[in-house]
Amino acid sequence: MKKKIFFTTLAVCLMGAGSCKKDSDFLNAVVPIGIIDSQIEFNDPALTLAAIGRLYNAEVDFSGLDNNWSSFTDFGESFASENGHATQGRTTWSYDSWANWDYTYIRELNLFLERIAGSTGLTAADKARFAAEARFLRAAQYFELAKRMGGVPIITKSIVYESGPVSAVQFPRNKESEVYDFVLSECDAIKDILPKLPATKSRATAGAALAMATRAALYAGSIAKYGVNTPTVTLSGDVVGIPAAMATGYYTKALASAQLLIGGTYGSYKLYQTALPAADNYAAVFTDKSSTNNEVIYIEDFKAFAGKVHGFTTNDQPYSNGEEIDDAGRLNPTLNLVQAFEKLDGTLAPFATRDITGAPAYYDTPQDIFAGRDARLAGTVLIPGAIWKSAANDIWAGYWTPNANPANLTFEQGTITTSDVASNLKPLPGTTIPVQVVGKDGPINGLQFHTQTGFYIRKWLDPNVGTGRRGQGSDIPFIRYRYSEVLLNAAEAAAELNQFPVASDYINQVRARAGLTVPLVLNSANYFDRIVHERRVELCFEGLNLFDYKRWRIATQVWDGQNETVTDLTTNLLSATHRNTKQWGLWPYKVYSPGNAATNGKWIFKEVVPAPNTGVLLFRLGNYYSQISDAILGSNPKLLRQPNQ
Amino acid sequence: MKKSLLPDRERYACADMRQSPQKRATRNILLLFALCSLFSSTVFAQNRITGDVFSSSGEALIGVSVLVKGTNTGTQTDVNGKFAINVAPGSTLVFSYVGFLTKEVAVKNLTTIRVDLQSSGATDLKEVVVTGYGSQKKESITSAISSTTSKELDRVHGAATVSRALAGKLPGITFKASDGRPGSSAAISIRGLGSPLFVIDGVQSDEGQFNNISPNDVESIAILKDGSAAIYGVRAANGVVVVTTKKGTGESRVTADAYIGLQNFYRFPNALNDSYEYAMFRNEAAFNANPAATLPYSATELDKFKTQADRDHRSFDWHKFIVDDNANRPQNFVNLNIQGGNDKVNYYVSASSIYQESTLGKEYQFQRQNLQSNITTKLATGLSVGLILNGRIEARDNPGVPNEDDYDQARYALLRNSPLERPYANDNPDYLNDIGHNNSNYAYLQNKWAGHRKDTWRIITPTFKVNYDIPGIKGLTLSGLYNYYFADNLMDNFEWTFKTYTYNPTADTYTWTGGSQNPYRQRKNNKVFNTTQQIQLAYANTFGKHTINAFLVNERYTIKNLNVTLHSVPISNNLPLFYFPTMDQYDDAESNQARIGYALRFQYNFANKYYAEFLGRRDQSYLFAPGYRTGYFPGGSVGWRITEEPWVKNLLGEKRILNDLKLRASYGITGDDRKPDGSLITPAFSYLPGYNYGTGQGIAVLDGNAIIVARDKGLASPVISWSKSLQSDIGFDFTMFDSHLSGVADYFYRKRTGLLANRTDIVIPSELGYVPSQENLNSDARFGGEFSLNYNNRIGEVSYNIGGNISYTRGETLFNFNPQFANSLDEYRNSTTNRYQNIQFGYLVEGQFTSQDQINNYKVNIDGRGNSTMLPGDLIYKDVNNDGKIDVADQRPIGFTNGTPIVNFGFTIGASYKNFTFNADFSGASGYGYYQTNEAQVPFTNNGNLNVIFRDRWHRENTSDPNAPWIPGKYPAIRYNTAANASGDSNFKFNQNSFYGHDVFYIRARTIELSYTLPQAVLSFAKIKKARFYVNGYNLISFDNLKSLNIDPEATDSNGQQVPQTKVVNLGVNLVF
Repeated sequence: MKKKIFFTTLAVCLMGAGSCKKDSDFLNAVVPIGIIDSQIEFNDPALTLAAIGRLYNAEVDFSGLDNNWSSFTDFGESFASENGHATQGRTTWSYDSWANWDYTYIRELNLFLERIAGSTGLTAADKARFAAEARFLRAAQYFELAKRMGGVPIITKSIVYESGPVSAVQFPRNKESEVYDFVLSECDAIKDILPKLPATKSRATAGAALAMATRAALYAGSIAKYGVNTPTVTLSGDVVGIPAAMATGYYTKALASAQLLIGGTYGSYKLYQTALPAADNYAAVFTDKSSTNNEVIYIEDFKAFAGKVHGFTTNDQPYSNGEEIDDAGRLNPTLNLVQAFEKLDGTLAPFATRDITGAPAYYDTPQDIFAGRDARLAGTVLIPGAIWKSAANDIWAGYWTPNANPANLTFEQGTITTSDVASNLKPLPGTTIPVQVVGKDGPINGLQFHTQTGFYIRKWLDPNVGTGRRGQGSDIPFIRYRYSEVLLNAAEAAAELNQFPVASDYINQVRARAGLTVPLVLNSANYFDRIVHERRVELCFEGLNLFDYKRWRIATQVWDGQNETVTDLTTNLLSATHRNTKQWGLWPYKVYSPGNAATNGKWIFKEVVPAPNTGVLLFRLGNYYSQISDAILGSNPKLLRQPNQ
Repeated sequence: MKKSLLPDRERYACADMRQSPQKRATRNILLLFALCSLFSSTVFAQNRITGDVFSSSGEALIGVSVLVKGTNTGTQTDVNGKFAINVAPGSTLVFSYVGFLTKEVAVKNLTTIRVDLQSSGATDLKEVVVTGYGSQKKESITSAISSTTSKELDRVHGAATVSRALAGKLPGITFKASDGRPGSSAAISIRGLGSPLFVIDGVQSDEGQFNNISPNDVESIAILKDGSAAIYGVRAANGVVVVTTKKGTGESRVTADAYIGLQNFYRFPNALNDSYEYAMFRNEAAFNANPAATLPYSATELDKFKTQADRDHRSFDWHKFIVDDNANRPQNFVNLNIQGGNDKVNYYVSASSIYQESTLGKEYQFQRQNLQSNITTKLATGLSVGLILNGRIEARDNPGVPNEDDYDQARYALLRNSPLERPYANDNPDYLNDIGHNNSNYAYLQNKWAGHRKDTWRIITPTFKVNYDIPGIKGLTLSGLYNYYFADNLMDNFEWTFKTYTYNPTADTYTWTGGSQNPYRQRKNNKVFNTTQQIQLAYANTFGKHTINAFLVNERYTIKNLNVTLHSVPISNNLPLFYFPTMDQYDDAESNQARIGYALRFQYNFANKYYAEFLGRRDQSYLFAPGYRTGYFPGGSVGWRITEEPWVKNLLGEKRILNDLKLRASYGITGDDRKPDGSLITPAFSYLPGYNYGTGQGIAVLDGNAIIVARDKGLASPVISWSKSLQSDIGFDFTMFDSHLSGVADYFYRKRTGLLANRTDIVIPSELGYVPSQENLNSDARFGGEFSLNYNNRIGEVSYNIGGNISYTRGETLFNFNPQFANSLDEYRNSTTNRYQNIQFGYLVEGQFTSQDQINNYKVNIDGRGNSTMLPGDLIYKDVNNDGKIDVADQRPIGFTNGTPIVNFGFTIGASYKNFTFNADFSGASGYGYYQTNEAQVPFTNNGNLNVIFRDRWHRENTSDPNAPWIPGKYPAIRYNTAANASGDSNFKFNQNSFYGHDVFYIRARTIELSYTLPQAVLSFAKIKKARFYVNGYNLISFDNLKSLNIDPEATDSNGQQVPQTKVVNLGVNLVF
């Protein structure tokens, strides 16, 4: 009996080994893993860096290499070769497109600033730099909000509602100009605290603060100046819209900030210029991560084999030379953009696809038609036959066989031989042996992941082996600010202030680097078209295009909802308000005309709208400022609804 | 007597008195036997009786309890169904056996007797059901508990997982087997409440554990459907599934059970397999879209397709390549077990192995080995200890295809690849053909090209039990249980680089033109360590007509979960290991949980007539802030067996029309720390402020260094606690006609309160930038009922049983805290308050256009483009609000969502004649929707092949003549890769409409089985105790309304492209040595 009792007691005790603990201790034994008290966080420099790292990561980019390749493909400059993608058949944008009301991020920034102020474990220098960085990021977020939403409530401390009338914590929208002023004053305040180190690109520097200031001031200035063109895009109290009288002040500020940076006292930045051919030099601006690249001011950085990479190269590399099965070719620059690259003499012209009789123009190679253009074309776009990762891409839409042999046949008087995919061989007319009848890279109508415009993107594409693999990824950084844009900002501000020689000097520095040797002389008649055009080609696919067209208030004209015909496409190219509503491609065909030695084997071209491109872009007045959602409006009755929605 | 199913008090009370028959080897027992006999014989005169017990089908029954009525004296039948016992003259013997009606036989002067026991279906009221922390006789159960035993479950050979074996067997079980890959399980829920709690041999467990016990090892399953689940408190809001494994009784014996089977696709959408037909449809689609455009195929080419003129115009039949060539994929199962029991030891040791190949190919495999060892031994009077050991290895193997789900591409290939595409360049199997979308080239989906993915679970769970009858107080028992669960999951995935080729017939060369250069190596290792401790004090006793049954239990659980994920980019397919320089991911994670529960139950019954039960539980969870951790979950039930009332007995007289009728009602409160979708109600430590640090937060690259970042957690949520389920149930159980007919009916209503929501009466402006803590505010309800009937009887030598059940369940949202709507349309469309759940909104289709004229004159703008894209046959949406256009405001409820079925039913039929037994189980469901999308809605989806359902479409008589008359069909005129009625704005989807929606109904034959048992004469000759052979078919037929779409009625993927269920034919044998 004793033995039994002993055994039972022992067994029960063993089973309840944890039972000797009190219930509360048993539950409390589960301790959080990876949750750090903010006291500890802000007294340890390594952990504070981790906290600011999160705030850097959360910085909003309209287009970013890691946020979605498709933000690059909207707006007519490129076509999305992915079935069912929203931009393929886009007719218009919903009012809530591009909306951002991320006050959670602002609260995080404010909390960081409050906690760093209370820190006792960091050196004064560390505290000052961390605080200035958080202010830089907060200014960047308010700038982003202003670009998208107009005037927003400026909140600079963390607030928790506890009791009392909730109206005490309801804040109305500030004036749009007040938000810009806040951004500018913050940049002013921190530019002397932040390090003046051009080599530091992934953290805020004095140069980055100045670059932000010049861009923000320029945006504010142009909204003030060009707001008259869209009189209905305003709200009472200047919550949306900036009074015209403020334009000169902002332009002056933009020019001054740019000149501070150009002057070199805040760090020595300059255009990237190497011994490479001009096109490759331009492409390398975006891929060269070495210290020789002092054009780059501020980036979102990535690092291979360290957990932070992006899939831009995977998504957008040419199909046949790509490194990933069925995952390529999504971003196809359009003919609209490609033909906007000037001839070397500084004039604009469409590509000659016809002679004066309407017959096709014949070329010896598919590259010939693109010869003699601004080097930035080949630096931005992979044209047919361009080399990528040591192989030429294979872009052609099929064989064209004239129906008879007299000269001057039109394109329509020929027969096309093509197929669903390059590996599906077919015999040419009059033959029986199947041959390849379409390029391995397209264009094939409606076939995704192959080009459908005849072009692939080169900008941002990583030339290193393996970076196009889904499992590896690329660490090309996304450039948020670079010196070339600062020069163009300065040029625009100077021109708006009637300082045309100054403006011409700045814009020509950028053009000279692109191999355009004839200097441009800006004057009051041509400067607007020229500046709009220069920014379009120099800064394309950098996430700036939409906001430029919005601040100049020409978005409603460029994307006017009217069909863009071939004539629209190919005439009046320099006009700032040139219609850009359809996504055109330029398809090369090989001529198969065995009886005619003069044309057989040559190349002809045709302007084509890819079949899935069924929409016509329409930018409505209500798109100038993105919608504030009903939920947000409902949570704060003091907020005004956006105009024209 | 199946000892394990008896309450412990009976078990040990009678063990001492039992008189053992022959073949008992232990000296102690012989001694005991001698002593007992001596003791007995000194008091009474005894006759020795021997006998045989058979089932109505003539099978000798092993381990039948033989008890002298009114005493504790008893024995069991041996492996040949024989027994021997000494009784006083004039006694009555009671024969009872799980799954059979209890029979009483008066001994009179007989010395040998033959007893035939009648199969009970589920009518045996003396049957003992294992419920929460104990067991009860069926007659005394006063809550909604359904149960089934190994006898029922064993009818479904060929189901790899236990859940699949439950289809249609129990009323109130909502069942859906949507996925048919090897080793897959069915989604089961109790009354549609959500994911239930699984308790296996007394230990709280999970669905994966439940599904991967070997079905052979299961002794019984009880489903606690109502407030009785409150005994399990915090995780029992969706009901509890209580599983008991076999414990071993009767004579020592070895059982071998094995089957082999052949599996085939049950049903899958089909696509064109003829190049000519494909080309014709391509031309038709292009012509429909734009009559002016050049057609994809010229007349000359069409002729070549028609005559299959040359190598470029041949057809390739992908369905044959993928499905037919993989027909009759094998599966096999072997179980070997040794079991037996006496008054000292009970043991059941079992090993099982199952192997299944997928109908998608022999390299897609599932295999599992189970070990189950249950041993209980009595150390001394009133003291027993037991060890339950459950272990398994569960492995899934398949080619390493990109995308998370490696079965995707294989079935996608069936609809993606056109008859013009061929798997191998020049049909040479050494060269994969470059078809431009090589992931879905089925030929590539092999280990030798694609690489290899292997996902293995290795699990061992020892449970140690001790049971002590405290001396001095009759019926008081102290018991303890300790369970340790260790699981290791290793997922190894290596996706290889590969090349695809284009063949040049002129030069007879193969050119490398595509493929993947992406080597992808991934490993996930997940380790789980759980502990359960249980201490229980139980009391059971009868005083005259009063019976008391009570217990108090304390439980503690811990869960520890360790996770590591590795990824690398190997430089070669030939390097299977990880090497640091090529690694780019190493993620480490750990989570811990702890819970404590105290539960008690008190049951009282008076004269087996009036029953009352009270139960309750106090639970505490680590998940909530200190102060919000404790919850109380009471419950209770009452029952009244009317047929035990003397006046009812008088009324019924001897006719026995109504043998038993019990009315019962129950109420219970259970808790849930999960959301309705099954995830935790709040993340762990949400009540704490601070910064989250770890790889999950992301990595920032600052000054060239990769930095793990830390993020402020936001406002803490200190007030969150459990949601509560308040469940009421009323029902009755009856047996009639000499217990040949039995039935159960129940109605239930569950109200759930404390669902999380934001307090919206004070709206915090968004600009403050934080989300206020959620609180336990909202409520919903679920209600329904179930009814089941079973009948069994015999006609001459044929005994038969037939039974059926049906259940109904619906959910309704009751209360949303101060819902916010922008306008009345928003409220109409999105409010859920006081509405049924699972309602699908969509467009109402009034008809189809019959002519271009009708389209031209139609006033409502359907496509957003003035109907310019419409063709005859296109759908006419109802303009409900008469505003001349179709938009979201025209959407109305059009049916049920593709969710949990509202109605479930099943029926079973069985018969036996001499040595033959036939069984068939059917189950079905209704009250859920299926909506055609993707390949079932869009012709040539993703530039793919054409689903054959579109042959029946509106088309022109001459498909390339714009003026030809239109011929009606079922579907709208086809376009290439575009749905009919597709609006220009791709944000505006039309696919949820009443034309493409179906309210599903199905009934399917789960199992049909015929078996033959060798007669005794043959067996004794062969020295085998028992031999049974069977052939069965699984999923052979179904009656449903999705057949014309080639969609499995249980599919949940809207395109119907889930791995389809398999139909299986098995051949099996069951031997006892």
